Amino acid sequence: MMLAGIILMQVLSALFFIGDVIADIRDGEYLDNVHLGLEAFASVALIAGVLFLMLELRRLLTRMGDMDAGLKIARGQMVEVMNRFFDEWNLTQAERDVALMILKGLDNESIAQVRNTAAGTVRAQATSIYSKSDAQGRSQFVSLFVEELMSGDFSSDATDECP
Amino acid sequence: MSAPSDPSVSHTGARIREVPVWDPLVRLIHWSLALTILLNGAITEEESKMHEWVGYVALGLVGVRLLWALIGPPQARFSAFPPSPTQALRHLRSVLSGDRAVHLSHNPLGALMVYNLWLTVIALGVTGYMMTTIRFFGIEWVEDAHELAFNWLLLSIVLHIAGVAFDSWRTGISLVRSIINGRKRLPQGTKIE
Repeated sequence: MMLAGIILMQVLSALFFIGDVIADIRDGEYLDNVHLGLEAFASVALIAGVLFLMLELRRLLTRMGDMDAGLKIARGQMVEVMNRFFDEWNLTQAERDVALMILKGLDNESIAQVRNTAAGTVRAQATSIYSKSDAQGRSQFVSLFVEELMSGDFSSDATDECP
Repeated sequence: MSAPSDPSVSHTGARIREVPVWDPLVRLIHWSLALTILLNGAITEEESKMHEWVGYVALGLVGVRLLWALIGPPQARFSAFPPSPTQALRHLRSVLSGDRAVHLSHNPLGALMVYNLWLTVIALGVTGYMMTTIRFFGIEWVEDAHELAFNWLLLSIVLHIAGVAFDSWRTGISLVRSIINGRKRLPQGTKIE
C-alpha cells in the first residue's frame, strides 16, 4: 500500500511538472531556457521513477504470491500428516473435527460454540481423542504434531534442508 | 483465540478461503478516481483552476491505471478482463438462468463498465482541456460534449454501483470489501471463472 501511495504521489508530481512545461511552452518559452530545461528533466526523472516503482511493485506482488503458494504447499503437507495420524488413531469424523480445532488452539467452550454442541460433549470427545492418541492431555496432544514438524522426517526434502 | 471470530470458519461451518484479487495500486487508483469525480462533479466550481487541476489528476489516474494494465500483475492486466460484448451477453444469460459463479477479476459485464468509465473520464478530461485552449475556448460543441460526457458518467456510476450491489447479492461475496482490503472471501466449493 505504501509503495502504491508513493507511486501515485510521484505520478501527480510528474503531472504537475509536465503541466507546467506545457503551459510554459504555450506561453512561448523555449527549451534553452534553464528553468524549462530543469522542469523537463524533472518530469522525465519522475516518469522514470514511476515506471521503475511500478515494476518493483509488480515484482513484490509476484514474490508475495509465490510465498503464499509455498505456504499453501507446506500447509497441505501438514494436513496430510494430520490426516495420517487421525487415520492411525481411528478417530471418528466428529473427533477429527474436534482434534483439528484443538490443534488450531480453540478451547472446549469455543469448539462447542462452533459445532453447536454442549461443552460436555466436546470434553468427552477430547478425552476420547487423547486416549486414542496416547496423549496425557491437550498440550501433549498438540506436541505430538510439533514434534513431527521438528523431526523433519515427514518429507524427504525437509531433512535435506535441515542444517 | 475465541471461536466465533476464527477467520477460516464461517458461521455455517463452511471453510472460507481468502483470495487476493485487487493489488494496492488498483485500489488506490479506484478510490482516488472516485474522489476526483466527486470533487469535480459536486464541489469544485466550474471554470475554476481547481476544477482544471482535479480533472488533470483524474486523467493522470486513468493513465496510470492503463499503464498498470500493460505492465502490472496478471489480475490487473487487460488480458484478465478483455472487452468482449459476446462474453458479456453470455455472462448475462447465465446470470439470468441463476448461475452463481464468481469472477476473480471483473466479470464480463463489469469489464465493459470499466472500459466505459475510463473512456468517459478521458473524454471529460480531453474536452475539459480543449476548453482551456484558445483554439477551442467558447466553442459550443466542445462544451456540449463535456456536459454530455458528465451526464453519461453519472448514469454509468449509478449503473456501476447497481452492478456491484447486484453481483454481491448474486454471489454472496461483497465486492465493496474486495476493493477496500483487496481480498474476496470464497466459501469452499464456490464456482470460479
